[in-house]
Amino acid sequence: MKLIAGVDIGNSTTEVCIGGVEDNGKFHFLSSASRMTTGTKGTIPNVHGIKAALLEAMDKIHQPLSALDLVRLNEAAPVIGDTAMETITETIITESSMIGHNPSTPAGAGEAVGELLLLENIWKGKPGTAYIIAASNKFSYEEVAARMNQHIPELDIRGLILQADEAVLVENRLNRPIPIVDEVRHISKIPEGKLAAIEVALPGTTIRMLSNPYGIATLLGLNAEETKAVTPIAKSLVGKRSAVVIKTPHGNIRENVLPAGEITFHGDQDLCVNIDAGADDIMKTLTDAGEIRDIDGQQDTNVGNMLNRIKTSMADVAQSQENHIRITDILAVDTLAPVEISGSLAGETCMEKAVGIAAMVKTQHLPMQQIAKRLESELHIKAVVAGVEAVMASLGAMTTPGTKLPLAILDMGGGSTDAAVLGPDGSVRTTHQAGAGELVSMLIQTELGLHSRVTAEQIKKYPMGKVESLFHMRLENGAMQFFEDSIDPRYYGHVVLLAPGEMLKVEEDIPMERILEVRRDAKKKVFVRNAIRALRTVAPEHDLRKIPNVVLVGGSAEDFEIPEMLMEALSEYRIVCGRGNIRGCEGPRNAVATGLLLSYLSDR
Amino acid sequence: MVVNKPAIIIYTNEPDEDLLREVCAGIEEEGVLYQVSSHEGDLDTLAFEAAKESMLGSGVGITGARLAMQMERLPKGRNVFELNMPRFWQCRNLGANSARAIKKMPFKPVI
Repeated sequence: MKLIAGVDIGNSTTEVCIGGVEDNGKFHFLSSASRMTTGTKGTIPNVHGIKAALLEAMDKIHQPLSALDLVRLNEAAPVIGDTAMETITETIITESSMIGHNPSTPAGAGEAVGELLLLENIWKGKPGTAYIIAASNKFSYEEVAARMNQHIPELDIRGLILQADEAVLVENRLNRPIPIVDEVRHISKIPEGKLAAIEVALPGTTIRMLSNPYGIATLLGLNAEETKAVTPIAKSLVGKRSAVVIKTPHGNIRENVLPAGEITFHGDQDLCVNIDAGADDIMKTLTDAGEIRDIDGQQDTNVGNMLNRIKTSMADVAQSQENHIRITDILAVDTLAPVEISGSLAGETCMEKAVGIAAMVKTQHLPMQQIAKRLESELHIKAVVAGVEAVMASLGAMTTPGTKLPLAILDMGGGSTDAAVLGPDGSVRTTHQAGAGELVSMLIQTELGLHSRVTAEQIKKYPMGKVESLFHMRLENGAMQFFEDSIDPRYYGHVVLLAPGEMLKVEEDIPMERILEVRRDAKKKVFVRNAIRALRTVAPEHDLRKIPNVVLVGGSAEDFEIPEMLMEALSEYRIVCGRGNIRGCEGPRNAVATGLLLSYLSDR
Repeated sequence: MVVNKPAIIIYTNEPDEDLLREVCAGIEEEGVLYQVSSHEGDLDTLAFEAAKESMLGSGVGITGARLAMQMERLPKGRNVFELNMPRFWQCRNLGANSARAIKKMPFKPVI
């Protein structure tokens, strides 16, 4: 019996499949394995990962590596994807004129207007003027309360701003109830003597006056021109539990629209579109431009720099000249990114409009031949490069029970979404599109304002729950899960991700509902849109209805919700769509490796 | 019939008064009630019994300059947090955490 191996090198995993051909030509699948890809896809360091995977697969059938007769490698698609994000609006507030945040425990309720006065200067206050006192954390809550109480009879004190987290403690010791905002980090930046308005929302509600331009105008006595100028402040205070707005006559608040720039598509016709137009218009222009040769951005604008950055990093990976790198597809997605406002007093952020872009670069042929040679010399087994990735994947996908021709595959990986249609006559049409798993991670990271990309990746991959007591947690679908042993108190009250065998804590304090919404939204924006775009490109006469079945393969097909989302979206076109099950046992993995073996049989 | 107020119970055994005051401040800032009473016993017992006694299921034990926070139904000795000769901010946060345990909010750092 001859033993042959199919090897598929992907962006993230290397998969192998081993089959045996008997002397009479009968063929069996024997074993398979998968390992992390070592190094960038299509480069010599891959050999290490290939050997490890082959060894594992051969171990499973108790054979030494030397028993292999032939190794078949896929001709990996020479596409690499990258992502970038750029904000297109920016709120700049000079002369620190607002505070708006969510301290966990502000005190009192209602709004107040008065002149700002520091606690150490409270003795300078004049009767008859309304004051708002600001106290730094060098005063303890007892001192603050004592000094305030001492002056409350003579001075008109309307509100209090604290640096420490002690609003409730102070309130409980004051003789008169006033609204108190606490946890204001940069209290030293507060300009004394200026008129300020403060508001603390009632429990369970958010502020109403200061998140409304006319509310601010009422409290601070602004004219129409000034009211227009404070609109960005009101906008960024929406949804806060407490806020302070300071009237600074010379202060300046503007919402800048950055020179976002234009994208130029060089295709059947050259078309330009401004980034400001939004993702939908960009994608429409892309379609109108026809077959794309290259895409670039206006020099010295955000998008221009962004696309240049992508090209430069691609040039490093592909080890070719930068001017040979051509972007052949992009996927643009509208998003909102929380950006810290410059000159803020308590680390306030503002949701700014942004565009996320995934770009795909076609390089020269990847040096697969060199990998084959290296493999041959190290293992002393014949290694050949055989077959185009998409064709092999289609052949492998055909082994899923319940499929028929024409069959479409959708391979959603990390960097690109690939589609292929295998016709009854054996013809194959393929396409590679920018935008897949990595863009989703980037969207999750920016929209939730996460510090690390790793957390975003984990949010994408795993379902979550909230630890509600030391013995149970509520899962994202509302179900409860109980534990025999108490949960580590570090997880208490946090949203945790349920990775296999462990729980991962989300450090940021974001409600589970919000994470869920952002995660689903990001997946829909990228995967559903891209799947339909890719399938339409390869479908006979570009008509989705002419594809009877779609098999999902690749890493993202293993996701716990993407296949369902696609099934829902594609059922509209009467397409049978589902997660592949290669050879009825492998799930969506191993399609290419399996296809490589099947193609060996037909080659003979 | 003994009626307990919904409060966090603090059992003390010759406590450092400054640390006790900070723990109470931490609880007060979170807007939860508390009751302090003096008892015999070691740290684990104080915290365990306090949590058991508390209608809200959260208790603190203090003896000397050692503090422990405990929650109802956790075995004795498995304190949620334990501090030895802490600084004031640590006591403040431990108090806040005993309240947050009831409010089902994430704990503040104590170390």
